[in-house]
Amino acid sequence: MIGSHRKKQFMLASAALAVSGLALSALPAQALNVRQEVGVTATTIKLGITVPVTGIAAPGYNKVAPAMKAYFDYVNANGGVYGRKISLVVKDDGYIPTLAVAKTKELLLKDKVFAVVGALGTATHKAVSRSVNLGRQGIPDLFVNTGYSGFGVKKDYPTTFALLPSYIMEAKIMSSYIKENFSTKKIGIIVQDDDFGDDAIAGFGQAGLTFDSTIPYASGSQSAAKAAEWVTKLKKDGITNGDVVILFGVTTATAAALAVAGAYGFKPQWILGSVGGDATTIKAATAVPAAVLNGAIGASFLPAPTDTSDEYIKFFQGINTTYNHAVTFDNNVLVGMNSAMMIVQALRAAGQNPTRKGLITALETKGSTFASAGLAPLGYSAKSHVGYTGYWFGKYNLAGELKPVDNAYVVYTTDSGTGQVVKSTYKRPALPTNGLPSNS
Amino acid sequence: MLAFISTLLIGITVGAIYSLMALSLVLVWRSTRVINFAQAGQAIFSTYVAYEVIQRTGNFILGMAAAVVVGALLGALVEVLLMRTLFKRIHSGAVAAVAPVIATLGLLGVIRASVGLIWGNDGHRFDAPVSTQAFSMGNTVIPFSRFNLLVIATAALVMIVFTVIFQKTSLGLSLRASAFAPEIARLSGIRVGSIRTIGWAFAGATGAVAGVLISPNDSLTPNSLDLLLIFGFVSAVIGGLDSLIGAVVGGLVLGIGKALILAYLGSSLDYPTAFVVLAIVLIVRPGGIFSMKRGRNA
Amino acid sequence: MLKKFFANGVRTRFIGTIACGWFLLLAADRVDPLRVYQGGIVAIYVIAIASVILLTGYSGQVSLGQGAFMAIGGFSAALSSKYWHLPFFLTLIVAVLAGALAGALLGGGAARLSGPYLAGITLALAIGLPNLANQFSFLGGEQGLDYSVGDPPLRFGMDFTTDKWFFWITGLAALITLWWTQNILMSRYGRTWRALRSNPAAAQLAGIHVGRVKVLAFTLSAGLAGLAGALLSMTLFYALPSAFPLSLSFALVTGAVLAGVTHLLGSMLGAIVLVAIPAYAELLANKLGGAERVIANLPGLMISTLLILAVLFTPNGPGEQWRTFKEKKGKKDRQTR
Repeated sequence: MIGSHRKKQFMLASAALAVSGLALSALPAQALNVRQEVGVTATTIKLGITVPVTGIAAPGYNKVAPAMKAYFDYVNANGGVYGRKISLVVKDDGYIPTLAVAKTKELLLKDKVFAVVGALGTATHKAVSRSVNLGRQGIPDLFVNTGYSGFGVKKDYPTTFALLPSYIMEAKIMSSYIKENFSTKKIGIIVQDDDFGDDAIAGFGQAGLTFDSTIPYASGSQSAAKAAEWVTKLKKDGITNGDVVILFGVTTATAAALAVAGAYGFKPQWILGSVGGDATTIKAATAVPAAVLNGAIGASFLPAPTDTSDEYIKFFQGINTTYNHAVTFDNNVLVGMNSAMMIVQALRAAGQNPTRKGLITALETKGSTFASAGLAPLGYSAKSHVGYTGYWFGKYNLAGELKPVDNAYVVYTTDSGTGQVVKSTYKRPALPTNGLPSNS
Repeated sequence: MLAFISTLLIGITVGAIYSLMALSLVLVWRSTRVINFAQAGQAIFSTYVAYEVIQRTGNFILGMAAAVVVGALLGALVEVLLMRTLFKRIHSGAVAAVAPVIATLGLLGVIRASVGLIWGNDGHRFDAPVSTQAFSMGNTVIPFSRFNLLVIATAALVMIVFTVIFQKTSLGLSLRASAFAPEIARLSGIRVGSIRTIGWAFAGATGAVAGVLISPNDSLTPNSLDLLLIFGFVSAVIGGLDSLIGAVVGGLVLGIGKALILAYLGSSLDYPTAFVVLAIVLIVRPGGIFSMKRGRNA
Repeated sequence: MLKKFFANGVRTRFIGTIACGWFLLLAADRVDPLRVYQGGIVAIYVIAIASVILLTGYSGQVSLGQGAFMAIGGFSAALSSKYWHLPFFLTLIVAVLAGALAGALLGGGAARLSGPYLAGITLALAIGLPNLANQFSFLGGEQGLDYSVGDPPLRFGMDFTTDKWFFWITGLAALITLWWTQNILMSRYGRTWRALRSNPAAAQLAGIHVGRVKVLAFTLSAGLAGLAGALLSMTLFYALPSAFPLSLSFALVTGAVLAGVTHLLGSMLGAIVLVAIPAYAELLANKLGGAERVIANLPGLMISTLLILAVLFTPNGPGEQWRTFKEKKGKKDRQTR
């Protein structure tokens, strides 16, 4: 009795809601008159960023936005971009996807920013990109700073511009480096058995690198005991101390392998992939002693933050002192200021009256010529939104800093397709006068 | 075998710190029947004080002493200012079960934000007073250092001090009496209120020791003791919330359990382990390992 | 007599629900798009907080792990969509069932546990469970699983935004949840819960099977949490482990207490507070300005301080405060008369 009663009520409720919904949606839509581009006024350009400012992920990442702001302050104090001052709205997302989506919506709908910049966190930004539908809404999403190279694929993320090379490129470049420097050594690889690993294997295959020992592991299965198995297998396949072992997996896998090998006295020449190879993350997330990481080879596309002989580093350190309370100048600060400098050039390239569409076109046509601290060429084009297209290799020291071998940056560059890996002859554009871009 | 032993040693080190956090939660639970989520906040504040002192004097022991004093004062202050007000206003109803949780979580937020305001949200670092380099036997490295040894020794010292206080002194007798029979204690002339405050002070000091001991291996941030609080709480529940020995045993069980899982199964099972260990213990003994019959209810 | 009143109650609640729905529909077309999106999030919180109120306020059990049941809901919905290709509506049902099943298992195991022990085990679940996604690759690791309701039906027009579509779905789900929960609370089960809450011993003497009643409450509550989790995943387009942090579980208990933990309809207030207060705190902090670390930490400081004050001064929610105020006033009026 009550059951049927409720059922009827439920039907009624749904029907009523549906009917009323239809009635309301039949009303004419409000026309939106766009007079001036969102976020741009005669005197300002408003940009937005969501980053973990507080919470567990804050240390390190919380330095990116202030670094960007510091550089913008400097540019603003020197005339801004065609007279407009850049303001950066910073929202705290705590590295939680729900918050990142909510804050990005706030940035776009309430603060009405022109573009979102400097996104962090792959999972978080994938959720943001789809929930906010950056692509369909034509909102520029500049210089995403995560390890997921999918953000550089224009078909999937039409308005997103990535900063990092793709995994295929990384594998190809790594192959060349190994062939050149370790041609007589045996080579082993520990690689994650999924899309990410498949991309890498494809890249290694294309470059013609063969392995004496290949150890695929299922994502998530990494552990100390597994790592002991890996080391045993490597030894069985004839890899001995001084041979090369590539670690192309996530941070925890890299850390497990390093720690266990260290404990067993197994000392090959480690080469770390960019995803699991970030020294800061390894040290922060795991208990790997600095001594184990010491001497491992890693890759980067920016100069070492401690390298004061580099004109960009020297300039950014100056900005850091004057505008950023002289915080410790590390990779996060460098990435922030470098991205900010690229953003200023993108805005200038978009012209006197920048539009969102114009900004994207400007990046596709002129982005590859921008001046930046990066030692590898930028790959932006109408076809590709991949940023830096190369790496230099260096060794980690006891402090966990990546330093170029013999203090010389040897940069290798390639593409995501079948292109050759070449030692880059790329001549980085000189630092703009006073660090103020004057491109158009 | 050596790998197994070193895993055990790591487990004991981690477990010792969990035990300390569990002890501080149990001390509070015994005195006021509250799970003090703010303990992580009190401990992080004390640890920052230690950091500040070590930074200025270079003396680890001085830093530890400062942290203990500040931790104790902060604990007493929280009891007098927040808890007494709370219990004056809320006695019964469904909300009485959750109000202390919310109040202490709120306090945790206040302290965390204050720490962020004072010292910033970046990581800070202070060094251990002794080497953190792993021992090695011949060609084999045992991932166990002098500092690990110091952690275990300090934790043991704290436990001995508490054993002496609780078993041999009249203060200990008062603490025990007001924990288990507050009315009778009051009637026999014990000032239950002050005894409660002392319980909170002891708890604050113990939490501070845990915070200072865990931080040299890690970077110090406003959130860096959050997990210690969670695992300390789980340890306390494993041991039985009313038992001081239980807290110590619970911490060691969890520490060793986690080290074993980490070594033999996988790093992403680290957190789920806490649930599994706790579930097994509570299925066998719903009031924790050292539960007393009267501690249970339906 | 009683039956008639009961039927009337059902009807009133039903009409109330419809009126609410009508109002929300009208509102959705008239407020700015950000509010529509926030409305969707509020609706999800309403469901999740209702699940806490059902459990804590009515059956007297404290769970600090509702976020874990939300994760179970989110992931099971995404899995059923990915592997069984179920239509969206059915994936929500799967989420409810999966949440309820998990709740029944945990509730059954935990029925003998007293307050803090239950809090402990649910807390351990909340911290441990989302990490399982990293262990088993079919759960998608850190990147999670795709989960989407798809584009809004074309017949709603081209300018019918995804946010509005979400708001309709979550709003409808929240209304049905509130209506259904109200009815449950007014039913025999609700009466046994209240009896149990106010006097466990007497309830037991009156023949109420305490364990079974508690497990039932846990099951229903976890089912609702599962629904909320699936809806949250829908708004993110992915079921993600990082979307269900411990802070979510804490926030839900907070919302429930702020609303008055024994008042179901308070869940609406709690949900609004959870969404609105942080936004206002951030706004205020930015207005006040100051150094980087001040702007970063001021919102947290203000929210936490407010939280403490709220627990101290309106522990049973503003609704209860208002009621006691009116009762006192009524008494005074009668006395003066």
